[in-house]
Amino acid sequence: MIGTVVENIKLNDKYYYMIINNKDFVENAKVGQFLMVQSKEYDYINDPILRRPFGVCDVDYDSGDFSILYMIVGKGTMLLSTFKKGSKIEFSSPLGNSFTIQNEKNVALVGGGIGIAPLYFLAKKLKNNNCKITLYFGGQSETDIIFLDKFEKFVDEIVVTTNDGSKGLKGLVTEPFIKNIDYYDYVYSCGPKKMLEAVSKICINSGKAVEVSLDERMACGLGACLGCIVYVRDNDGNEIQKRCCVEGPIFDGSKVIWESVCRG
Amino acid sequence: MIESLKINLCGVEFKNPIITASGTFGYGLEYANHIDLNKLGGISVKGISLKEVKGNPMPRIMETSAGMLNAIGLQNVGVERFIKEKLPALRKYDTKIIVNFWGKTLEEYIEVARVLDGEDVDMLEMNISCPNIKEGGIAFGTDPKMTYEVVYNCKKVMKNKPLIVKLSPNVTNIKVFGKVAEEAGADAISAINTLLGMAININTRKPFLSNITGGLSGPAIKPVAIRMVYELYKTIKIPIVGIGGIMNYRDVIEFYLAGASAVQVGTANFVDPEIPIKIIDELDNYLKCNNIRNISELTGKVEI
Repeated sequence: MIGTVVENIKLNDKYYYMIINNKDFVENAKVGQFLMVQSKEYDYINDPILRRPFGVCDVDYDSGDFSILYMIVGKGTMLLSTFKKGSKIEFSSPLGNSFTIQNEKNVALVGGGIGIAPLYFLAKKLKNNNCKITLYFGGQSETDIIFLDKFEKFVDEIVVTTNDGSKGLKGLVTEPFIKNIDYYDYVYSCGPKKMLEAVSKICINSGKAVEVSLDERMACGLGACLGCIVYVRDNDGNEIQKRCCVEGPIFDGSKVIWESVCRG
Repeated sequence: MIESLKINLCGVEFKNPIITASGTFGYGLEYANHIDLNKLGGISVKGISLKEVKGNPMPRIMETSAGMLNAIGLQNVGVERFIKEKLPALRKYDTKIIVNFWGKTLEEYIEVARVLDGEDVDMLEMNISCPNIKEGGIAFGTDPKMTYEVVYNCKKVMKNKPLIVKLSPNVTNIKVFGKVAEEAGADAISAINTLLGMAININTRKPFLSNITGGLSGPAIKPVAIRMVYELYKTIKIPIVGIGGIMNYRDVIEFYLAGASAVQVGTANFVDPEIPIKIIDELDNYLKCNNIRNISELTGKVEI
């Protein structure tokens, strides 16, 4: 697919936010899905070569705009940050499975750092379904805490934590979350592996359902390269392989074998 | 049908010379929702072995300059499940099916070749060049005696299908292996498989891949592949399928000039699944503009 860059904004020293226009994409994108984005403007440049996976952060059905959130970590994201308003950008169709959207439930969204991206799209949908939503948002420091004003419209309560205490409560996001776990019917989480593992364990111990969004290194995003395998337990307790790109990126957090997860 | 792109490879009629390379295109079906498989000349499926293989531990892939390293470890469903679960659906598409296969032992190679030879597939491609597994694979592709033995013995049990032998670039002299495979009865050669490589994370001081080393593919290896196809073309009479970093029609023409009679597109399928289809359209245009009636006229036409 090809879209037009509507905006490519530097949010702060760490995060960038890109809005892209493509009506087809927006009509088909499900909550929790991702896309592979080509970070070069010209296809005759061969380096970097692979597209980069990003979670769908937001969609606007009226304008046909959707957005991604990214950090500059290497060549690909560096080039992505140079795209100007109005330029063309190539990407895949929406890929992977999606979050299940609960109805009229008390839900917790637990996000860490850039993992906040798919939770924004999710919060909007859950609000639509009359869920009561708490957002637990953790980061290293103040720079990581973004979009609070955007979230305020869709969530009922926001709890912020930072490791250095520069914003919100000092400490890990799992600390306030575990105190209130009994209140929730359903939990969604996206962020670093250690956080997802901790959130999943808290949910297992309290008998709560938890969906996590994983982010593995991928080449194709289509299920062909077998580079993004995640091991999970099936209903009989056997270890089985799942492709993060096709059978994921959303997994039942209680089934993931965390030792097999590579990223973050 | 584009007349200028029709080719005959070992008696098999291809609508065009663009084949998707093994290991980069799953069983073909993974791409069915993303591109029109009917447009492809052929599909070389993920390397099939006698029994199901689960592959290497993660991490298995790492991007490098103009390429990538992989150490998937020939993960596949095994020949029986391939025939039962994948082949019938794949056969519904109007494209040639090449089954890439391998074994841990000589006996496994022979058995898989024998079974697949009796199935509804168009060609077999023997993989003696995967660098990412401990047993079999590359061991057969880096010792000329073993290459001869595995090709000769598989050909002996194959009554119906032409055999392509996929060579490793991880040898001192690829001409020796091309010659040996030809003498042992190979109908065609495909070259090259990935180059053995490694990448280290300087923060953790650990290799990026759990397998430590992996196979390098993508545009980074194209000049090596072109050189090897050129050397093979001067040495052997059987056709050569050129592989290595093809991203566009210009790369395909380059492989033809070096000596290829068909090509496989690999890593590009990961980058953008539309690339093989784009190449087909661009090639047709190139041949028209240059008054070339059929792409086969270009094979080996490099001017030295």
